[in-house]
Amino acid sequence: MSQPQEGLRGNPLRDVRDRRLPRVPDPCALVVFGVTGDLARKKLIPAVYDLGNRGLLPPGFALLGFARRDWGHGEFESLAREAAEKGSRTGFRDDVWQRIADSIKFVPGSFDDDAAFDNLSQTLIDLEATHGIRGNAAFYLSIPPAMFPTVLKQMQRTGMADNAERGGWRRVVVEKPFGYDLKSSRELNELVDNVFTPQDVFRIDHYLGKETVQNLLALRFANTLYEPLWNGNYVDSVQITMAEDVGIGSRAAFYDKAGAARDVLQNHVLQLVALTAMEEPVSFDAESIRTEKTKVLGAISVPKDLEHYAIRGQYDQGWLGGVRVPSYLDEKDVPAGSTTETYAAVRLGVETRRWAGVPFYLRTGKRLPRRVTEIAVIFKKAPHLPFSQTDTEELGHNQLVVRVQPDEGITMRFGSKVPGSSMEVRDVSMDFLYGESFTESSPEAYERLLLDVLLGDATLFPRNEEVEHSWRVIDPLEEFWAGRKPHLYRSGEWGPAAAAEMLARDGRVWRRP
Amino acid sequence: MTTTLWDTNGTDIVKALSLERRAAGAIASGLALTLVVVVDERHVEKAQSAATTAAAAHPCRLLVVVRRSLTANDRLDAEVQVGGHLGANEAVVMRMYGRLTLHAESVVLPLLAPDAPVVTWWYGPAPERLAYDALAVLASRRVTDCAAVDDPRAELRRRAKDYAPGDTDLAWTRATSWRSLLASAFDDNEARATSAQVSAEAGSASASLVAGWLTARLGVRSRVVTSDGPGITAVDVRFDDSSRIRIDRPDGHTATLSRTGRPDRPLPLKRRDLGDLIAEELRRLDADQPYAEALAAVTGGKNLNERSAKRTHIWREPPGTEAGSTKTATGAAKTTRATTKKATKKPAKKAASAKASR
Repeated sequence: MSQPQEGLRGNPLRDVRDRRLPRVPDPCALVVFGVTGDLARKKLIPAVYDLGNRGLLPPGFALLGFARRDWGHGEFESLAREAAEKGSRTGFRDDVWQRIADSIKFVPGSFDDDAAFDNLSQTLIDLEATHGIRGNAAFYLSIPPAMFPTVLKQMQRTGMADNAERGGWRRVVVEKPFGYDLKSSRELNELVDNVFTPQDVFRIDHYLGKETVQNLLALRFANTLYEPLWNGNYVDSVQITMAEDVGIGSRAAFYDKAGAARDVLQNHVLQLVALTAMEEPVSFDAESIRTEKTKVLGAISVPKDLEHYAIRGQYDQGWLGGVRVPSYLDEKDVPAGSTTETYAAVRLGVETRRWAGVPFYLRTGKRLPRRVTEIAVIFKKAPHLPFSQTDTEELGHNQLVVRVQPDEGITMRFGSKVPGSSMEVRDVSMDFLYGESFTESSPEAYERLLLDVLLGDATLFPRNEEVEHSWRVIDPLEEFWAGRKPHLYRSGEWGPAAAAEMLARDGRVWRRP
Repeated sequence: MTTTLWDTNGTDIVKALSLERRAAGAIASGLALTLVVVVDERHVEKAQSAATTAAAAHPCRLLVVVRRSLTANDRLDAEVQVGGHLGANEAVVMRMYGRLTLHAESVVLPLLAPDAPVVTWWYGPAPERLAYDALAVLASRRVTDCAAVDDPRAELRRRAKDYAPGDTDLAWTRATSWRSLLASAFDDNEARATSAQVSAEAGSASASLVAGWLTARLGVRSRVVTSDGPGITAVDVRFDDSSRIRIDRPDGHTATLSRTGRPDRPLPLKRRDLGDLIAEELRRLDADQPYAEALAAVTGGKNLNERSAKRTHIWREPPGTEAGSTKTATGAAKTTRATTKKATKKPAKKAASAKASR
């Protein structure tokens, strides 16, 4: 008989060459605070179920729900089951659910109730005996940030967040908003980092869990074709659009205080800027990638002329997709005369050698004609055209567009000869879909991110410094906007006229996504 | 859209495929590979639907080769499909008759997606030596299925003897979920294994491969014992501190993981359908060393991983025929070219013809 093989992490059955075996986390518990909330029901519980169905949960796994309901275990289980049935991506199967249901526990209590947290702490300790889980736990804070201090203090008091004390890993997952401005985000970061160690804090930005966003890194760094052109010598400008066709729905209470810039620009859109503009990481591990992203975010400059290059808007009534929709001010629970923006467009610069002089135009808004998120890299025109002026009248800039959602994929726009006897060149689009159905079966962002948390892989989670740099970009805009009225735009249009003028001033136009 | 070509040739198939692609609209497809499926007439649909499932994750050009009667007149019929239920994929089903069945590669070669890797999958029994089939030689990855033959264990030995890096077997793919669960069970286990036992229905090649894998990785003796099935029903590993890990799956659905000193855990462990298996196969196209090691451990084969990945076609006259007894072998393509007919688009006619040729 041969000798036992050295395996990964001391497990002889794990072989680095064995790519068939999926990465499965260590036995662990996932504790969800605010488990009866929208996010938990629509995303988290289905994601846990799908992970289970794909065989990606460890043999020892427990889901603990904590919420302020006077519920028994049975009520929670039926809520969770319903959520999984509704939201699962991989098809609901009873036997899979049964297995997860066996390890679901509900701990009722309010966040200031010491006894409830003692109970939770004890439940976690008991898991070792009942589920063979030795001290590993991830805490998902699916609660309003105002509650963070209370919950975190309770965790500190009971020692739940202490790695050494519990003899396993302890991680915490925080959802956006990561604060309200630089100051509040710092306070929040200090608070969380104080209770957990900084490397155990996972800030979820679900955009980064999307396949195309990760594919952007593959596109840039696995190919020779694009990287030589990916700089100010060839790139004219970059346009990043994140448009939604919906209004604010029932989120008025939150949204009216935040606005589009804080809600979307600060996190999703700036993260897309970072991934587009970052230098090549020295390796593909979490620290290297996050270091490069941090560098770019730190190099972002805000325009001096905010009047003309930081435009915000608010939607007025109008028609969208054949339906009459009300104005922002007429939405439920929006205070009269609110000056909160539902649209923001800004020109930023990235002050590095690679991007010197290349404007990054970002825009985001609600009630725009369609839901689309894309990154468009617009190239300079060819320095010399050997054709006559009339031949190339319809030739624009070459573009490389990364479509993040929907129809994840890549579009290239380039000039091509119009068939026929005369020489005419016009722009054509080449669409690349990596198999239409591929996107359907690719893991839902939350599923991927949740798995990464349990595996301890922080690659796709922004670091503390990234969040602070982002606020440094947003804060001056907010200061400038404070006390001013947003431009109105009709629902169903691509934003206020001022945003179009902003590009026209630079001799450019917004791409119609 | 489907175009059916009767008594046709390779050139016309290439033309029909490119016409279909244009008709299906502006398809800028992200073809990742060409999948060649060698299958019996009876199983064309099953194989095609499995390949289509797999192609959802790995967009490919699907070339289905159906070898019909060797004694019939040389002839080639083809169906070309693009889009529709195939999604972004394209498929060509080719039915070959007569001596053409021995020269299938002459039709397949011009249809391979340019510069993309080629995977050949034998739905039923594979040739005794893969090099006997030219379709194996042009592939960078070859997928066989030991469970498709009457004596899977003997087949495993044959595969080991014939092994070249890039070969893989669906019996191994079927074992992945078992192996994954076993690996997880070992994650927080420090003791040293002393013996292992796999229980499975009689003649399960997957069970043999799991046992071979455990032997290769743990350096212990592992046995396969017969149970009532379905498939693998239990794996039992004992350790030097007299603890044990046991996974039981009596019903083909749910497994129970028992470990000494720990509570039992129920875990989903379902048998996967063919589409899932093929999708897993297409995920990576490099040589599968752990498979080679498991295969070596179970069959006593030597140095499987060190063999050359290159195969050269070995001409072998099929048993029961003599070279030249029917028409000349090389004349196959020529004969069909002489009698090319234009495409018809009536699927009804296809059924009629299939009946007629039986």
